[in-house]
Amino acid sequence: MIDAAMEIFRNVCPRNCYGTCSMLSYVENGILTKVTGDPKHGYSKGHLCAKGYAYTQYVYNPYRLKYPVLQSPRGSGNWKRISWDEAYNIIARKILELHDRYGSNLALGYNKFSGNLGILHYATEGMFNSLGPHTKPAGNLCMGTGEQAIRDSFGGEFRNPAPEDMAEAKLVVLWGANPAVTNVHQMKFIYSALKKGGKLVVIDPLYTATAARADLYVQIRPGTDALLAHGIAKLLLEKKEGRDEPVHLPGWKAYKEFLKNKIDLDTVCQKTGITHEYIEKLAVLYDNCRPAATWAGFGIQRNNHGKESMKAIISLAALTGNIHVKGGGVYFAHDDINDFPLHLARFPEKKHPIIPRSRQINIANFAEEALQLTDPPLKFLWIASRNPLSQDQNLKGWQELIKNLELIVTVDLYMTETAKHSDIILPAASHFEEEDLLVGYWHHWLSFNEKAVAPYFEAKSDLKIARELTKKLNELSPGFSNFPYDREPIDWIKMELTPKIKKRYGIGSYKDLLEGPRHRTDMEPESVAGENFSFFAGKKPAGSDEEKNYPYRLLSPQSLLRIHSQFSHVPWLRPEHEETVAVIGTTLAAKKEIKDGMKIKIYNEQGALTATAKTNEYLPEDTVVVEQGGKNPINQLIKINGGNNIPESTYFYDCYVNISKKEGAEA
Amino acid sequence: MTNQVGFIFDADSCIGCKACEVACRNENKTFDGVKWRRVTKISEDTFLSVSCNHCNNPECFRVCPENAFTKRYDGIVLIDSSLCNGCKICVEACPYNAPQFDPETNKVTKCQMCYPRQDQGLLPACVEACTTSALGLVDLETFVDPNAVPAIEGFPDIRITQPSIVFYPQRKKDRYFLNH
Repeated sequence: MIDAAMEIFRNVCPRNCYGTCSMLSYVENGILTKVTGDPKHGYSKGHLCAKGYAYTQYVYNPYRLKYPVLQSPRGSGNWKRISWDEAYNIIARKILELHDRYGSNLALGYNKFSGNLGILHYATEGMFNSLGPHTKPAGNLCMGTGEQAIRDSFGGEFRNPAPEDMAEAKLVVLWGANPAVTNVHQMKFIYSALKKGGKLVVIDPLYTATAARADLYVQIRPGTDALLAHGIAKLLLEKKEGRDEPVHLPGWKAYKEFLKNKIDLDTVCQKTGITHEYIEKLAVLYDNCRPAATWAGFGIQRNNHGKESMKAIISLAALTGNIHVKGGGVYFAHDDINDFPLHLARFPEKKHPIIPRSRQINIANFAEEALQLTDPPLKFLWIASRNPLSQDQNLKGWQELIKNLELIVTVDLYMTETAKHSDIILPAASHFEEEDLLVGYWHHWLSFNEKAVAPYFEAKSDLKIARELTKKLNELSPGFSNFPYDREPIDWIKMELTPKIKKRYGIGSYKDLLEGPRHRTDMEPESVAGENFSFFAGKKPAGSDEEKNYPYRLLSPQSLLRIHSQFSHVPWLRPEHEETVAVIGTTLAAKKEIKDGMKIKIYNEQGALTATAKTNEYLPEDTVVVEQGGKNPINQLIKINGGNNIPESTYFYDCYVNISKKEGAEA
Repeated sequence: MTNQVGFIFDADSCIGCKACEVACRNENKTFDGVKWRRVTKISEDTFLSVSCNHCNNPECFRVCPENAFTKRYDGIVLIDSSLCNGCKICVEACPYNAPQFDPETNKVTKCQMCYPRQDQGLLPACVEACTTSALGLVDLETFVDPNAVPAIEGFPDIRITQPSIVFYPQRKKDRYFLNH
C-alpha cells in the first residue's frame, strides 16, 4: 500500500549471490518500512527471495551495532562505546607506529571479500593502496578453480550466457547447482523451458530442493563429476563416430583418443556409483535435446578434482554442439565487473622508496600464510565484508593468528564470530544507507543503489570510513595517504561510467539508472563466443579415492535463509532449530543407533562439535551434511591439508569426519 | 453475482523458498510468532504453502462466540480483531492453522488475502512474491482446469470447510539414487 507520505527508492541487494536483485524501498518519515522486488529488473522480475523480503529487520534490529566499540582486553567481552574520533585515533596511531617500527606498511593487512559486492565497497582496497605497499589477500576462495577451468577451456575468456536464455533450452542440466536455495529467480526461466517441452536434469550428491523438481535426478558420489562427464562423452562418441564430430575445435583429436583409450565405462560406473543404464539415459538426452544448457555449479569445484570436473563438463557441452548456440552453453559465472575502471579497487598503490609492491597472501589459506610472514610479521588486520571465523577453513590457524596481531579492526553491521575477536568494531552502513553501483556475476544487469535512509545511529559506509581514516592519518602525518578523501560517492560512481560502459548499458548518465536497471547491450553473438575453445586434454581419469583419516565426507552447503553467515540475526528468518543440525543417511543412523533429534558428536583432528541429528533416506551412507554459518559454525572442523594455491577455490568438501552418539543421548 | 477468490498452488513448481511467507510479514508486519502464511516440507519431494483458505464453509466463522468473522462479497474471510476475546476456539477448529493467536495483543489475527491490495488491483503480497508462479490467485466461480485437483497428499481434510484453494499435483519423475 502506498500513501502520500511514502517515498520509493531503488536499491540493490549487494550480497554474494547470483541474483544481485534490484529492489524498491518504501520509506516513510525517514524509516524503511517495506521492500519489494523491482519489476524493471529483467532477471528477478519484481520478486525477491525470503531474505530480501526481510530486509527491514536486517536494518532495524536489536542486535545491530550502533557505535564504534573497543574491547579490552581482546576476547574478554568487555566492550565500551568510543567515538569515531577515538577509534580513528587509536587505529591511525597504531598504523603510524608500525610504519615507524618497520619502515613500511607491510605489517598492515586486510581481509575483505564478498559481504557487500558494491563497487564502492572497494574503498577498503583503495584505502590500503593509498598507504603504499602492505599485505593484501589474493585469489578467490569461492569460484577461483571454476574460473580457471573456464579460462583454460575458452582461451582466457570468462563469460556467462544470459541466464534468461536458459528458457530457450530443450535440455537443462544442473550439475552441482541448487538454485531452489541459492538462486531462486533462475527457476522461472528453467520452468519456462519445461513448459515448452524441455527437460530438467539434476546431477548432485544431495537430493536437493532443485533435484526434487527435475525430470531426471541422478545421484553421484562427490568429486567424481569428471568421470561421469567423460563416461557420457564416451557413449556419445561411440554413437557419432565418424559423423558430426567437432573436428574443427582445437584438441578434438587428443580428447577423442583420451575418451577411447583412457575411459572405461565399468570404472566410471564403479567410481561415480551410477549404473550404466543411467549414464546411457544422460547420453541419450544430450544427444536428442538441442540446445542443451549446462550449469556447472560452484559445488563441483569445492573439491580437489574441481578443475578437471569443470573442464570435463565443458568438453561434454562442446562435444554435443552446445557451446555456440542460444539456449545452450555452459553457465558458471562471469566477470563483467572487471570491464569497469574500478577506480577504488585499482587505486594506484602509493610508491615506496624501496619496496616495489604489496605482498600478497592467498585468501583461501589466509591464516596459515599470514602466520608465515616475517620481516615484518603481520601485526595489524582490518576485516571488512567478511566473517572468516565462521566461514574460513583452518579456524585453529585463525586463533593462532589473532594471538600475533597487535590490532584487529572489524567493520560489520553485527557482532559476528569474527567481530567478537576484534579490538575495535566499526559499525557498517547497510546498502539502504549509502550510494553504490552494482553489477552481478550471473546475469548482465547494471543497477544503481540509492541512499534511501540515513545511516543507522553512527553506522558508516566502507567508503566513508576510508575517507575519514585517511584524512586522520594525514592530519597526524602529512602525506601518509594519497586517498582523495574529498571525493563524494556520486563522483566515484560517475567515474565508473566511462563512455565505453555507458554505451554497453545504453545509458547517458547515472540518472538513467534511477529509472531502472539496464541490461548489457553488447552480449557477444553466440556464433563468436567460444571461438577460442579447446577441448580438455585429459591424461588420466580422476577418481574420488582420497586419503582420509575419517570415514564420512562432510558437505557444508548454503542454507536457505542465510547467505554464508549473514542474516542470522533476522527474526523472520530464524531457523526452526537454532542449534547446528547434521543430516545423516538412514542407513548410517541405524548403524550408529542414532535417531532423529538425538544429539550427536561430529569430530575429526580439528576438534568436535555437538549437533542435532536429522536422518534422511536419500543421503549416501558415507556423507554428512551440515549447513554453513550459525552460532556453532561447522568450519571449525574444516582444514585443507597443505592449503590451496592461488587462484584455487577453497576445497571445503574435501573434509572428512566421524560421528558418534553423544553419551547419554536419547531421542 | 457471488464469487469466490481463491489460491491455486502448483506442487510441481514450489521450491520451498519461503519468499511468500516472509513477503506476507513484510507487507502485514505481523508479530514475530504469528505466521499468516507458512511453507512446510511435507515430503522430500514436496512443499506446501498454506495461509487462510477463505473457506466456503469456514469453521472459524461457525465456532466464534463473538461473531468476529465475516465473509466478504468476494469470499475473503476476515476477522474483526477488536471483537476477539482471545478464546482461541477458532485456532483449534481450523484444519489449516489459519487463525493465529498473537500473545502481544491477546487476540487472533489471520490472513486477509491482502484485501486492501486487491481492492487497488494488486495481487496479495505472497502471490506477488512467488518467483516460480507456484502460488496464484483465481476466481473459483469461473475457474475450470481438468488438471487441477481439490487437494494433494499432506493437505488437511477439505470436506468440512471446503477451502478456496485448488492444486496442481506433481508429475511423475525419474530418480536414480546411489545404492546405500
